[in-house]
Amino acid sequence: MPEIAEGLNPFSTDAEAEGEVLFLSSPRDVIKLIKSGTLKEYILLVRGGTTTFLAPALQSGATGVITMSGAPESHLGILSREFQIPCVMSVHLTTGSGRYVAGETDEGHFQEIVDQLQGKRVRLDVTSPGVGRIYQVGAE
Amino acid sequence: MPAPYLKRYNPDDDGIRFQELTWIGNRPGLEPVPDGIIGDKMMKGRAKSKVLEQLSVDDVLRDEFTLDEINDLNDYYAWNTFDVLAMRATEGASGMIPRQEYEILAFMQEFLRYPEFMQLITDKVGAEGVIEIGKSARSEIGTKINAVHDWCLSACCLMGRTGLLALESIKPGDYVDELNTILKFGQRILWGKRQDGWMLNSQDRYRCAIHEPDLVEKLAASVEEFGDDPQTGAAFKQFNASAELLSFFDHYDCRLGLGDTGPYIRPDGRVMIVRDLFVNESVYHWSDVCGDLPHCFTLVLMIDVEKMGLEEIRVNDISTSFTRPENYIPHITGGSVWVRQEWDTPMEEVYNIPISDLGDHLAQIQDATFKMYDKTSRMSRRQLITNGIYSYYIDMILPHLRKAGLYDEVCEQLDFWEIDKRISELYYEVPKRGFVQAVVPQKLFTGVGALPIPGSERTGRRSKYSFL
Repeated sequence: MPEIAEGLNPFSTDAEAEGEVLFLSSPRDVIKLIKSGTLKEYILLVRGGTTTFLAPALQSGATGVITMSGAPESHLGILSREFQIPCVMSVHLTTGSGRYVAGETDEGHFQEIVDQLQGKRVRLDVTSPGVGRIYQVGAE
Repeated sequence: MPAPYLKRYNPDDDGIRFQELTWIGNRPGLEPVPDGIIGDKMMKGRAKSKVLEQLSVDDVLRDEFTLDEINDLNDYYAWNTFDVLAMRATEGASGMIPRQEYEILAFMQEFLRYPEFMQLITDKVGAEGVIEIGKSARSEIGTKINAVHDWCLSACCLMGRTGLLALESIKPGDYVDELNTILKFGQRILWGKRQDGWMLNSQDRYRCAIHEPDLVEKLAASVEEFGDDPQTGAAFKQFNASAELLSFFDHYDCRLGLGDTGPYIRPDGRVMIVRDLFVNESVYHWSDVCGDLPHCFTLVLMIDVEKMGLEEIRVNDISTSFTRPENYIPHITGGSVWVRQEWDTPMEEVYNIPISDLGDHLAQIQDATFKMYDKTSRMSRRQLITNGIYSYYIDMILPHLRKAGLYDEVCEQLDFWEIDKRISELYYEVPKRGFVQAVVPQKLFTGVGALPIPGSERTGRRSKYSFL
């Protein structure tokens, strides 16, 4: 399986998280997903490392989370650990154009990540302290 | 074999690094300071006064700081803020609550308004009474007189000062008397809680084991061992996570809803953490969705640190526990849950719930979370920022006002719930020119914005006398 992205890992666990990446851009997207009953089929991709945005998804047992900003000390890093939900934070693409820097990263960075990950079936590897890896499932 | 974390309490140990960033500070030419135990040592070594050493009650009762003491505290709090928040600050925009905007506005509101309330409390109960307010935390659970609230009293006001300096609304030499009030009140509360001469957990190798021995033993005795029963452990851990999430949410995505103390090292070698989760703060109108949930669930966590191979544990000054290795959850081998129904429920009426009975409470918590999400998702940006300001500015001094019996008075006579006109006007300024996204984090978390008060000594009174 090719590694397509990497980021910060709030906590190490052998638990596997696999699913189709779904980008959630608004609370409405989150509510719609919860109501659909298909939450656990997806790996959730979100912009920020805060916790309230994903609150219902965390409570309902999300399979895995990818964020485009934030660190293990961020609120979502803390809560993902408490819920033991695999999480990869401040993700960057292995072939991409750079890494997130607070206050300096432009919108193009985030859009590139959404474009590259949305809809792909991925597996999160969060077994290594500090580093989370994202592998594409089913790709050569 | 004892877990390696015990070495951290050796005076010669420099701890381990939890992050790669370093703190620059506001004094050019000095070496950048890392996080953790070694960072605390370096900051203490730079102090010009003795205010960062273990203090006596006479030190704390003295009303006036020297200028060196104020500047040493300003520096130390600035480093301490980096230590606890620099990595968290990378979390970016929420997508739901404009957290960055409400935080800096709340900090500036606090800097301008808290001195009045702090002086009111001090005038009513005296300096000794302020110390007693801090001390009350030692014999209670489910109290917001805790590390994060007590830290915020001074640290957040100082962050507000940094924001106002960055906006050039004030100058470094302004509001010195008010700074004295802010720092002295915070010092007395923090010192009163700890009773060991230190103010902050970072000064004592990130220990916050402040509860009285009889309370610690009572809590330890309540712990149910998970043993070979995975269901009990799973139920407890699920409850911990769900209640913690609601406590964050009810406090507008901040950890004023969470309060850890510890580590309490038990005779069997395990470490106990006592965790307050405030899931229903009654002063907030949005807490209506929390229904009959209690003010606070207190969880007692027993962690097998030897099996974990714990290298370091920090119960930091914003009441959050971090460990290395990071994942302590699988090593929780016992726990218990207590309920404090209201903020002022007497301690003798605080009761224990068996883990087997948590199901209904968990369902209520989950229901409240979904309702709060739905309610919050319908709010305007203005409503969200105003509520966020309240969640900080009201909550950080709320427990101290309540304990002093002054909450109603400040509401009725001092417009406690009003936003200062200067802050109302800054509401329109802070979203511009990258102020909250770039300027604020850079000024706050590098320390370069925490400008010292100029001069060599305090001469006379000094507030702010001109708005130019």
